[in-house]
Amino acid sequence: MTWAWLIPVLSFAAAPLIVVAGRFLPGKGAFLAILAIAAGFGLFWLTLFGFLDATTATDGCARVVSAETGKESGPLTCQYETTWFYAGLPGLEDSVELTWGVLVDPVTVVMLGLVTFVALMVQIYSLGYMHGDPRFGWYYAVHALFAASMLTLVLADNFLLLYVSWELVGACSYLLIGFWHERPAAREAAKKAFVVTRIGDVGMLVGILLLWREVGSFEMSAAFEAVRSGAMGEGTVTAAALLLFLGAMGKSAQFPFHVWLPDAMEGPTPVSALIHAATMVVAGVYLVARAFPIFEASGSALLVVAVIGLVTALMSSTIALVSTDLKRILAYSTISHLGLMMLSLGAFGYTAAVFHLLAHGFAKALLFLGAGSVLHSTEEQDVRNMGGLRRVMPLTAVVFSIGALSLGGIPILSGFWSKDEILLAVSEHRNVVFLVLTLLTAFLSALYMARAMFAPFFGPLRPELEHTHDAPPSMAVPMALLAVLAVGFGFLAFNWPGEYVGFGGFVFNDKPHGFEFLIWLGAISIVMAVVAFIIGYVLYVRGAYSAQRERTSASSLARIVERKYYIDEVYQWTIDRVVLIFANFIGLFDRAVVNDLAVNGPADTVRHLGIALRVHVTGHVYSYALGMVAGTLIVAIVWWVVAT
Amino acid sequence: MVPLVYFQILSAALFVIGLYGVLARRSAVLIVMSIELMLNAVNINLIAAAAHLGYRSVGEVFVHFDGQIIAIFIITVAAAEVGLALAIILRMYRNRATVNVDEIDLMRW
Repeated sequence: MTWAWLIPVLSFAAAPLIVVAGRFLPGKGAFLAILAIAAGFGLFWLTLFGFLDATTATDGCARVVSAETGKESGPLTCQYETTWFYAGLPGLEDSVELTWGVLVDPVTVVMLGLVTFVALMVQIYSLGYMHGDPRFGWYYAVHALFAASMLTLVLADNFLLLYVSWELVGACSYLLIGFWHERPAAREAAKKAFVVTRIGDVGMLVGILLLWREVGSFEMSAAFEAVRSGAMGEGTVTAAALLLFLGAMGKSAQFPFHVWLPDAMEGPTPVSALIHAATMVVAGVYLVARAFPIFEASGSALLVVAVIGLVTALMSSTIALVSTDLKRILAYSTISHLGLMMLSLGAFGYTAAVFHLLAHGFAKALLFLGAGSVLHSTEEQDVRNMGGLRRVMPLTAVVFSIGALSLGGIPILSGFWSKDEILLAVSEHRNVVFLVLTLLTAFLSALYMARAMFAPFFGPLRPELEHTHDAPPSMAVPMALLAVLAVGFGFLAFNWPGEYVGFGGFVFNDKPHGFEFLIWLGAISIVMAVVAFIIGYVLYVRGAYSAQRERTSASSLARIVERKYYIDEVYQWTIDRVVLIFANFIGLFDRAVVNDLAVNGPADTVRHLGIALRVHVTGHVYSYALGMVAGTLIVAIVWWVVAT
Repeated sequence: MVPLVYFQILSAALFVIGLYGVLARRSAVLIVMSIELMLNAVNINLIAAAAHLGYRSVGEVFVHFDGQIIAIFIITVAAAEVGLALAIILRMYRNRATVNVDEIDLMRW
């Protein structure tokens, strides 16, 4: 595992290579990116097996030792680091030593698997989807850079490196959302995504610096140790956790920072699948999971996480119900599921959150790739103009349905198990209001998934769509592989007979726990999912629902939801009324006080003084001589007066 | 022995004449000459004071040299200064065809 750093480095190397040499290579060098990420996927398996074999005796690996009981607890954590910056001298008090390195623990391992696999699938898919694009090579270069940054984020063992890669994935997201920058909407969306996430990132940076001030190190293990030993005060821990969560909210599109994610759908669809569904947006969830000891130590911070997650999940699932753009439905669904993951973390459901992260990642990437396949052949994004596509693109219809059913929570598909784990965590650790609202979210999420599945693919085929074709092999194979995982990944949750101890025995926060299943909770969730899909079938296939009728009879409530709760308008108002006025005031202050008074003021004074004084320089020798005589006389008289 | 104050009156008179020359004359040559006059007024003052102090301190034996030494220094420096000043005046005359300092006012604002 000491070579785990190689996983991102390969992709880091591929990115500039494609930019510089891509045009001379066959296929514009796309194969370099794919090879790099495929090698990363291979190395993931080596890391996984290396980690499974590792014990506390292995070099660099340890478990947390509890201060009270003296017993080892928590998952095995392997850390390999090296110093890259040193200021001061060894042993000197104020010396600054900065390290960077990789940290391999169960969460890292599963995230490595998710990122490398989905990135590999998406990059292969893009061969078909982006075929013939004038900036094909650049697309793959940024993809490689993104994969490298995301893998660094996952592997980082200190907050500084995590922050650097955090910003790098944000930059790649910006580049890929604005990939078709000829379109004004894409440019605006890219800027919006960058700026909105930046609001959260500032909080995160402050949080990291706060931890640095308290702990004296950027290393996560040191911070966790300080929290565990009680070296940090309760208030400081809460502040640090909330500031870190601010960054997570920006990246994971939590309310009120969710506004950038639906707009980010302006990017190419594979980008939406990889960055805005499966990997980058879960970085916020990953951060909270990674820094869980800090959150855990502060009950109020965890409650904030839970509430924000619940609000986000509920709000965005209602918007997903009325959205008409296929990709935006999926985007709001992503926000909703990210909210569920946050809620799960806020309800101590560490394992459930990570499990749902993975299950959702595979299913949502699959859904986006399916949507991309539809878009690619129909060039139509509005679900109201689609219908009956299963007749012309059967494979896409099948895999899309698998993804939708999985996320909708239909049993034995992976989304059912992970959603059930979250419900279990919420029912155990939060009160009944949380549970009811979570169940409602689950129901809504099944309903909009039914809509996203039935509206485009079922019902009568529209005549103008008859010429469409199914996905080419380069797009079909990744979808099929992801579909297998969307179906089967959930089975990893169980304790199978034999050595496998279940997902909860591998990824856990405090102590390993087996698979649990509450019959009554599972029954409710099954009934709700099935009912939601039946309602969806009646509404969108049997024709009980008509977009026109809905538009005319729309109640004020529906209009509010359709306008996305006016959150974009609130942002616009805030920018116009608060930010710009404040900025104008600052600008005025800069021009009047800083520039005119403080900078030009002394300069002008000196200049006018010089103009006034220069008249004594007459150029005549006798005036200088007279000055000397007069001066000498004055000195003499003064001296004489003083002396006597 | 002539009292010291006579020498001082002579010295002061010479100095003021020199000062007047420096301030009032327009010819650079005459200004240099006036400066020489002022330097020599100082010399007289120094030597007179030295002689006076020398006699007063040890009777008939003259032992107080400081004033003379400074005077000799001044003569040396004055010679060098005159050489330099005349060279400058010569160059000035070559360039501007005048030694009138009123007309030499290039170094002004």
